Amino acid sequence: MKAMNRRKLITASAVLAVVGLAATALPAQAAEVGVTSTQIKLGMTLPMTGTASLGYNKIPGAAKAYFDYLNANGGINGRKITLVVKDDRYVPTEAVAKTNELILKDKVMALMAPLGTANVKAVATSVNPARRGVPVLFINTGFSGFADVKKYPTTYTVLPSYIMEAKIMGEYIKENFAGKKIGLLYQDDDFGVDALAGFKTAGVNFAVKVPYASGSQNAAAAAGWITKFKAAEADVVILFGVSSATSAMLGVAAQLKYAPQWMLGSVGGDATTIKLTGVPAGVLYNAIGFSPVPATTDMKDEYVKFFSDIYAKALPGSAFDLNVLLGMNTAFMTAQALKAAGPNPTRKSLMAAIDSKGATFASSALVPAGYSKTSHVGLTGYWVGKYAPTGDLAPIGGTYVTYTTDSGSGPVVKSTYKRPPMPAKGLPN
Amino acid sequence: MKKVRLLSLLSVTALVTTVLVTAPTVANAAPACDGKSPIQSCVGVTSDGAPYAMQVPANFNGTVALYSHGYRYNVDIPAAIPLIGGYKITNTPEPVPGGNAAVAQYFFSQGIAILGSGFARQGWNPDSAIKTNVELIDTFKKQFPKTTKVVAWGSSLGGVITQGLAEKYPQLVSAVAPMCMADNITPQLTMAGDFLWGVKVLFDPTIKGGSYSAGAAGVAESYADLGKVFTVMGKLQAALATGAWPDTASPTGKSLAAAGVPSRSALLLLGLMAGLPTQSAHFDSVSGPEGALKLTFPLALSPALAILENGTNAAALAVLATQDVEAQAGGAIFDNTKTDYSARIEGERVIYNAALSGNTVIDALLGALSAANPGAPRAVANPAAVAKMNALHTNTGKINVPTVLMVGLADPITPAGASQRLVDLYAEQYAAEKAAASKAYQSSRSYAAPTNKLLMLWNTPPASYTKFNEAGSPITSTPAAQGTNHCNFTSAQLVLVAKSMVQASNTGKLPSGGSFYTAIRKAGNLSIDKGIRAPWLKSYGNN
Repeated sequence: MKAMNRRKLITASAVLAVVGLAATALPAQAAEVGVTSTQIKLGMTLPMTGTASLGYNKIPGAAKAYFDYLNANGGINGRKITLVVKDDRYVPTEAVAKTNELILKDKVMALMAPLGTANVKAVATSVNPARRGVPVLFINTGFSGFADVKKYPTTYTVLPSYIMEAKIMGEYIKENFAGKKIGLLYQDDDFGVDALAGFKTAGVNFAVKVPYASGSQNAAAAAGWITKFKAAEADVVILFGVSSATSAMLGVAAQLKYAPQWMLGSVGGDATTIKLTGVPAGVLYNAIGFSPVPATTDMKDEYVKFFSDIYAKALPGSAFDLNVLLGMNTAFMTAQALKAAGPNPTRKSLMAAIDSKGATFASSALVPAGYSKTSHVGLTGYWVGKYAPTGDLAPIGGTYVTYTTDSGSGPVVKSTYKRPPMPAKGLPN
Repeated sequence: MKKVRLLSLLSVTALVTTVLVTAPTVANAAPACDGKSPIQSCVGVTSDGAPYAMQVPANFNGTVALYSHGYRYNVDIPAAIPLIGGYKITNTPEPVPGGNAAVAQYFFSQGIAILGSGFARQGWNPDSAIKTNVELIDTFKKQFPKTTKVVAWGSSLGGVITQGLAEKYPQLVSAVAPMCMADNITPQLTMAGDFLWGVKVLFDPTIKGGSYSAGAAGVAESYADLGKVFTVMGKLQAALATGAWPDTASPTGKSLAAAGVPSRSALLLLGLMAGLPTQSAHFDSVSGPEGALKLTFPLALSPALAILENGTNAAALAVLATQDVEAQAGGAIFDNTKTDYSARIEGERVIYNAALSGNTVIDALLGALSAANPGAPRAVANPAAVAKMNALHTNTGKINVPTVLMVGLADPITPAGASQRLVDLYAEQYAAEKAAASKAYQSSRSYAAPTNKLLMLWNTPPASYTKFNEAGSPITSTPAAQGTNHCNFTSAQLVLVAKSMVQASNTGKLPSGGSFYTAIRKAGNLSIDKGIRAPWLKSYGNN
């Protein structure tokens, strides 16, 4: 009888041990939209087709390449990440429709990396992710207004704001082009409003400012712009617009042999995208550019090398460029946020994780992020480089000199930020 | 079985039609009933002269559904006026929406009677219409003493009347359903006034747009306005691609044209500042034809075309409702002397920046429309008339009985924001009821959770619906897309509302759960997603 009892006890202990093991190995049952015991579903809208899609349409592939790598290495606590991508063609009303689909039909846990100021604003107004409690992670726009936690409580920026970028450009101009005549081409919407605010704070006085309405950029318009810059005798011309505006401007300028010192904003400064429009890379040579992440050709950088290797395996033959690096970096940060959100992540715990730990997430960026309970500000600065004859942006003098600032009246200072090392195997801790 | 149901449907159609053409003549007499079976029809006239119709099935279960029809013009419209010409004032009773046979069939199949009047007065009439409905309920109960429950529903202005009935006389109704409900008179006429004023000061300064003369002269002025507004809309449509301005443009408009401002951007801005939806019957602001315009069409053209379509639809009501209410109030009731149109479009100027041609154009337009521009004189109301208008019935938004709301998200006449306002106000009301219940628990130790009394059904437009012909031109001959146009509901959607209202009256609870969600899905194009949020009408400010 005693022996029997002992056997039963042993059996019971074994069962408990197995249950305990299973409990450790398997994720607990989740009770959040888009989260099952085996999967976390995320959604993304951005232009995948049409003229506005050039370059940007590589972002989903880049993010998926990282998520596939992550999934193959155990996912997030055993859950694999699925990314649902919808084409919004860069049309705000379409972004609204597609985001509604992601939330209502696809039932995603969170939105990730939507692109474009107008699109994100349209979604915030019409779809209202904040009211639904849906996180909008790491948006692909630098409009400073989206960091307003009260107005967009579930939205997290990642790119430095356009105000920051303009302030840093202003600082660089002060240090290197004092007394020169400066011209500015800018998009005539909130993108441009931010830029103008940043330049004003930086104290830049323009000889000429040329606005263009979004969608109106083409070769004929560019010829008109050049006439205005020539008339103002601008020594330095800043192109603070989208890539298609940069392409139109540089393409026509090359034909007209108009060659001021070009300075390109980060949005319109991706060489791969510009080359895709048919403009030869050579026209970029010697232009000044800005980036928050390392040069995509810098294979000594552990993040660039890591992401480049994964991307080459996932999409052989596809060029590793700035959009790819940013897309993979966003996916990497998202993975860390999901991991930090606990064994059974919810929308609330995901946002709480970014609020409390986002500023310490590993990232390829060479500048710090500003996440906290009261701030949804992402990266806060840039390094300055020049374009090589190949069209690749490289740090001036071979060393990254990074500047950091805020979207207010704070100073532009050289950053002393020490980037966290890449976690083992590039997986979230 | 199918044959029987078909016959039944046919007979209901015939009955509803019969009642609609019967004209009662004696006011405040007992209703005249035909005593027929299975459906008995009664007609009569209320003390204020509203003809009514009752239809009672032989298996009457004690519940009657009272329907309130929407706004009908209170003047005849000359045949020469486009789109709406030939209309004659009518007070034909409407016991179910538009005489919808499927809806009547549903009620009769449940043993429920239907009831509705044509109201004594057309135009903006909630004050008299609510009184008419109160009398009508009493008359019905006297005629059919078996009556135990009244459910009330209505469309458009009828939604206002229905909500008003539930607010003022909750003891008379056990559930209500205001559909495509209008907002209160001031926000509704502000929306109309803003758009008309903008069309006047930019495109044709000879449009009066309000401040109409008294009597027949004022009616004639409103007819003239209708003709001018429709003419301007036609010219804007013809020049939409080029952006040319109509030859009737004001000096302000002409200076904007000279500065290169496209007329389509001006039209879009007027629609946005008034709060018109940018999705219309045929323009989704998303689709483009294959080819060069694939992206340009939705970005730059479609929103303006949607405003053109919605604005044309709304213009007739805007003119005639303004004339009607001015006649009731005794003077001009629209006043925009303090309106900040820049604040009105703060959110939209980013979203529609491309169609508005960029910030420089937007700022030029807002400058032209600002109070500082003498070339765009603001409208000044008559304070006494405004006081009279404000004394007309307005709804507080209080929800007293189980309430079902349904509205198209892109309804251009009664914007979805009017229903959203009730949703938001009820959220506050419910939170207060919960807090009161918690407080009561402190003393009684018995917690009685408040019951939800509001169900919101959003009629959502499809993700994309604009169609193009082989030449790439948009097709506008197809039926209006779901969720667009005014009170554009299917029979299935109306029956779902009717069923929900009846269920709530029987159980005291609004429907929910799996079978209800299935019913919603089957009705088509409806959503109960609490995340959907329509903007309140513009005159409320940011909500």
